[in-house]
Amino acid sequence: MIRLKNVSKKYSPSTMALQNVSLHIRPGEFVSIVGQSGTGKTTLAKLLFAEELPSRGEVIIGDWDISKIQAEDVPLLRRQIGVVFQDFKLLTKKTVSENIAFALEVSGVGSRRIQEIVPQVLKIVNLHDCGNRYPRQLSGGEQQRVAIARALAHKPKIIVADEPTGNLDTINAHEIINLLKKINEFGTTVVLVTHNREVVNHLRRRVVTLHDGQIISDEEEGRYRL
Amino acid sequence: MSTLLRVIKFAFQHFFRNIWLSLVTVSMLTLTLLALNILLSLNLATDAAIKNIESRVDISVTFKTEAVESDAKNTAIYLQSFSEVRDVQIITPDEALEAFKIKHANNPIVLASIEEVGENPFGYELIIQANSTDNYPMILEALDNPSFRDQIEDKDFASHEAVLNKISSVANQVRFFGLILVILFLTIAVLIVFNTVRVAIFVHREEISIMRLVGATGWFIRTPFLIEALIFSFLAVLISGAFMIFAATVLDPVFASYFDSGSKLKDFFIGQGYWVYGSEFVGAALVCLFSTAVAMRKYLRV
Repeated sequence: MIRLKNVSKKYSPSTMALQNVSLHIRPGEFVSIVGQSGTGKTTLAKLLFAEELPSRGEVIIGDWDISKIQAEDVPLLRRQIGVVFQDFKLLTKKTVSENIAFALEVSGVGSRRIQEIVPQVLKIVNLHDCGNRYPRQLSGGEQQRVAIARALAHKPKIIVADEPTGNLDTINAHEIINLLKKINEFGTTVVLVTHNREVVNHLRRRVVTLHDGQIISDEEEGRYRL
Repeated sequence: MSTLLRVIKFAFQHFFRNIWLSLVTVSMLTLTLLALNILLSLNLATDAAIKNIESRVDISVTFKTEAVESDAKNTAIYLQSFSEVRDVQIITPDEALEAFKIKHANNPIVLASIEEVGENPFGYELIIQANSTDNYPMILEALDNPSFRDQIEDKDFASHEAVLNKISSVANQVRFFGLILVILFLTIAVLIVFNTVRVAIFVHREEISIMRLVGATGWFIRTPFLIEALIFSFLAVLISGAFMIFAATVLDPVFASYFDSGSKLKDFFIGQGYWVYGSEFVGAALVCLFSTAVAMRKYLRV
């Protein structure tokens, strides 16, 4: 499903974000990418949805070779990958439902189909009664759940969550992780980028640890060891 | 179809979310088009003035009193054989005397002096009009033909050349400064459209980044900005066109009273409106699209 072969990413001659990273993530896996700040976790996540291209090596997502992807194919790839960020990236002037519908509208999904999908994904994240609220009227945890609902709108095969609990308290962080676990149980591959020790240890899933742009450990039922 | 409608919806959202900037952009484009339309009006007015004066240019050939009707007729037939000659009118001595009396009806001294002379002092006269003012030197030359040169007493060429030159010179100067004004307004309009798009991209940066993340195509992100450019152009043409139709309706009778040939303002700005405003829309749209494309290339990362 996801395969990185000897991937390096260089931002400038002196800034090497990733060095010879090789990684294979099977369909349906829940993988945590951990490491301290500046170790290349976010760069690795960005490679997965073609926000960055590798300087060297291959990034294969399903049938897509990200290292050779054409610009016009990037939107098609992104419709198969749901992305969740620390800062939620919600449009404050749109309601919860409109935020989710927006993701579908810009991808050309028909209005009738949008009306069907939006309540479905809101139900999955347990916000079915918040559709008409604006993001500012929700708690941080609820806003992140809206962001997850939006990521789910395209029924993606992969969810990439970059520090989704970074702005949340412990209770909300656990709620979000439980939600991601639930999504993973439905068969969606989840790649969680985090430096939250508690979250990683609680998960008891595969943990890939990065240090200075290199993978220093990859454990099937790992813990946060840095 | 729904995608196109959404793109149009986003274009209008861009327009209304930066309403003041959008209004400034439309105003500047409107000013540019108004300057262009005023320049076109001045062109029409000077053309009408020149045609008006040109229609009054003629050569008046006076025959000696001893010349007979056949001399005048033969000369007229000879002149009419030239394609450059539009009209030759023969005025008999009696008609010339009658016209003179009418002209000086209020001047008893002049009338008395005519009576004193006793006989008709006027000979045959030809009034010659050419197709173009450029043809008059050739006609004057043709009148030097030995067959009737000796019968001619005088040739009067009222060329109005000085007036024509003055009008042409003033018209050229007005056109020149008008053109500079249009170019100046156009440059400002291009810069304002550029800035408007730049600000719109900045204002919508969050929305654009989300669009990219959720799989919107480059076309879907860029097209609203291009449609917004078309909205600017359309509104500018609509406002300047409405102003010109109003101005043409009000000024047409005023212009018509000045020129014998009548005014063409109404005919141009209303009769040929589709062509005039259609061309202006295409021109304004191309300018706006160019400016938008440059701004997107520089600031919009898709």
